[in-house]
Amino acid sequence: MFGLNKIIPVDPNINFLGLRRNFLIFSILAILFSIGLLSIKGLNLGIDFKGGTLIEVSTKNTSIGELREILSSSYSDVSLQEFGNENIILIRLQNKSNQESIETVNSVKNLIQDKVVEFRRSEFVGPTISSELLFRGFQAVSFALIAILIYIWLRFEWQFGFGAVVALTHDVLFTLGLLSILNVEFSLATIAAILTIAGYSINDTVVIFDRVRENLRKYKKLELVDLFNLSVNNTLSRTIMTSLTTLLALVSLFIFGGEVIRPFALTMIIGVIIGTYSSVFIAVPTLLIFKFRPQDEDD
Amino acid sequence: MKNYPIWKSFTVISLVLLGIIFAIPSIIYDENSENWFLKNKINLGLDLQGGSYLLLEVQLDVLYKEELDNFVDSVRLISRDQAVKIEKIDIQENEVVVFFANKEKIKDIRDSFFQMYRGVTLQINNNKLSIKLNDEYRKIIQDSAIKQSLEIVRKRIDESGTKEPLIQRSGKKRILLQLPGVKDPERIKDLLGKTAKLTFHIVDNDNTSALQNNLAPFGKIIVSDMYDENTKYLLDKRAVVGGENLVDAKGSFDQTEGHAVSFRFDTEGAQKFGKVTTNNIGKNLAVVLDGVVITAPRISSAITGGSGIITGNFNAQEASDLAVLLRAGALPAPLEIVEERSVGAGLGADSIAAGQIAAIIGMVLVCVFMILIYGTFGALANVSLIVNLFIIISLLGTIGATLTLPGIAGIVLTIGMAVDANVLIFERIKEESLKQTKVFLIVKNGFDRAMSTILDANITTLIAAVLLFAFGSGPIRGFSITLSLGVIASMFTALMLTNFLVYMYLSIANKKKLIL
Repeated sequence: MFGLNKIIPVDPNINFLGLRRNFLIFSILAILFSIGLLSIKGLNLGIDFKGGTLIEVSTKNTSIGELREILSSSYSDVSLQEFGNENIILIRLQNKSNQESIETVNSVKNLIQDKVVEFRRSEFVGPTISSELLFRGFQAVSFALIAILIYIWLRFEWQFGFGAVVALTHDVLFTLGLLSILNVEFSLATIAAILTIAGYSINDTVVIFDRVRENLRKYKKLELVDLFNLSVNNTLSRTIMTSLTTLLALVSLFIFGGEVIRPFALTMIIGVIIGTYSSVFIAVPTLLIFKFRPQDEDD
Repeated sequence: MKNYPIWKSFTVISLVLLGIIFAIPSIIYDENSENWFLKNKINLGLDLQGGSYLLLEVQLDVLYKEELDNFVDSVRLISRDQAVKIEKIDIQENEVVVFFANKEKIKDIRDSFFQMYRGVTLQINNNKLSIKLNDEYRKIIQDSAIKQSLEIVRKRIDESGTKEPLIQRSGKKRILLQLPGVKDPERIKDLLGKTAKLTFHIVDNDNTSALQNNLAPFGKIIVSDMYDENTKYLLDKRAVVGGENLVDAKGSFDQTEGHAVSFRFDTEGAQKFGKVTTNNIGKNLAVVLDGVVITAPRISSAITGGSGIITGNFNAQEASDLAVLLRAGALPAPLEIVEERSVGAGLGADSIAAGQIAAIIGMVLVCVFMILIYGTFGALANVSLIVNLFIIISLLGTIGATLTLPGIAGIVLTIGMAVDANVLIFERIKEESLKQTKVFLIVKNGFDRAMSTILDANITTLIAAVLLFAFGSGPIRGFSITLSLGVIASMFTALMLTNFLVYMYLSIANKKKLIL
């Protein structure tokens, strides 16, 4: 039987927990930085959450500059952006009222009619809808976190639930911080990505916790730090394998999946990396706060 | 094949075959097929096949205000009958307060009013009568307005020739429209943007001072011309007859009049119309649509046949659209478009192509990687992965789910995540192989020990997906569906199909030693 799996040692013995302080400091700094960024710079909200109008056109014999010139004489609040290639242009407009936007779409279409091959897409989200969507997005993320916490709590001891939620909150905040730095558009699809990251990160954490629980039963005398280290090492090749296959699929989606889905793929890629990191370096060390064995207290 | 029950092999093989067979309709994708089997294909979302999604909000405030106006008119009529003078009428956001000159008959007025509008809250305070739109009354107005609006919208969309539209109520006061294949929603938006309330009124040409002062006396209204805002007409407020009495309307063309809309009344309408035109020969009759006068021709003779034409400066499209609106009937209140998402067929096709490429390349990468790492076992996992994909497609087709662009992303993501269960199993087998030498025992323990971890890990992903479905809208739901189906299918393929394949392989290859 062939197979390169032997490059990952069958029984690795890496002292992950020994490095926990360094990673803890790194993560705390990253989270503080993310919170700072989110409150100062904020997220690049798309029209789903900000409201407004978006028109995607494919053009002929023109440039983005020319279109910008045509439109900016009529609209002060217009922004244009090449989308994937130079012939596809995204036009964004902010409008105060619903009625105004409907008229805007028509007049924009008339203004650039002769430069356009196809109106590929037009979206308009009114102010009431965008605030509703934002609210529902928050609802979905918070309920998901709570539901996952409850599930972990039922399946494991509550301490594991605590560790999982610390890791999860870390992942969500860290990912949002990176989205803010990279100025990735935050849309409904991004909310979906965040929730999937939550699911993925928990998935990773649960696999390691499962092993921790098993080892707690198996090795009654082992020091907790060593036991946690052993558990992380036991599951290490799985952690790496699954992250890599997921990343392979996501990178393929990022490169070939088209312009519309790219922010989603990027968010997922960031999240999967952070989720994998946090399962090993945040979730497991958090368990050290708790004393799992009565005899530990006797020592 | 020892240790492997026949019923289990049979179940696995038949489920796999079902998964592959029911993926065929979606892979062939014959759009117009009537074949019962080929009809089990995936529905493409509007973002993939092209089309328009519109969310409309019924402007209930307009209706509440109209009802308050009705209150004022009725209270005026009643007090005139009772010979009580009204000093002042105060119209507030939610109520009308009427100040009477004296309070003698105020109770009678209240009772007569209540006869007409049961359910409103009436309060007497000295010489003051307040009429309030309470919550129940508003809810009645709201419900009937939404019901009527839905019906009218449906008629208008049907008349416009849109195929397979989806029209449904959404929340308290919204209507959701999905119009597959509609390239240019502008015409639809035009059709929905008009209330299309048509009424006929006698024009008052005698009272010229009212027009000059722009102040309509009781029972009259001032309405401007459709084509010239400065031309005003003084009309009887009471309509002679309205659009609700129309039975037919269609665009017509006449050498002298140009494009016009010809219409026909029902019996009641024809009678009313005949009577009014008989009694008012010489006067003008204004045709009012949504608060503006389209035309106001002179009545030269009695029209008793119950039909007529409306002329205006129409072109052919405008005349035929107006006919559509009149046939469908008036909306109880204006509709406002609060969300619109339209995708052209070009972008939809591009998205499908890009999604397919991403899925195929993602698949190839993952498969190559699995073989590199796990060798033959990796190849077995790849068979499971491919079957997994077929199962997702066939489930999407048979349950009639809608595939959206985020849905495609969900499938690609699933390709990466689905091997996880296999990886968990193989890693367990690897560990077991260090402790055991009996090949079948190693494999059995590997699968058994991985089982609970696989369940725990996948249920958390399912929780996230289900919540996404509950709170998400449209395309995002498509993502949560493919992700959930993918997760469920991957548990089946790993725990049953990979299991079956591994046993098969080990029996056929007759391995005495297992190194993974």
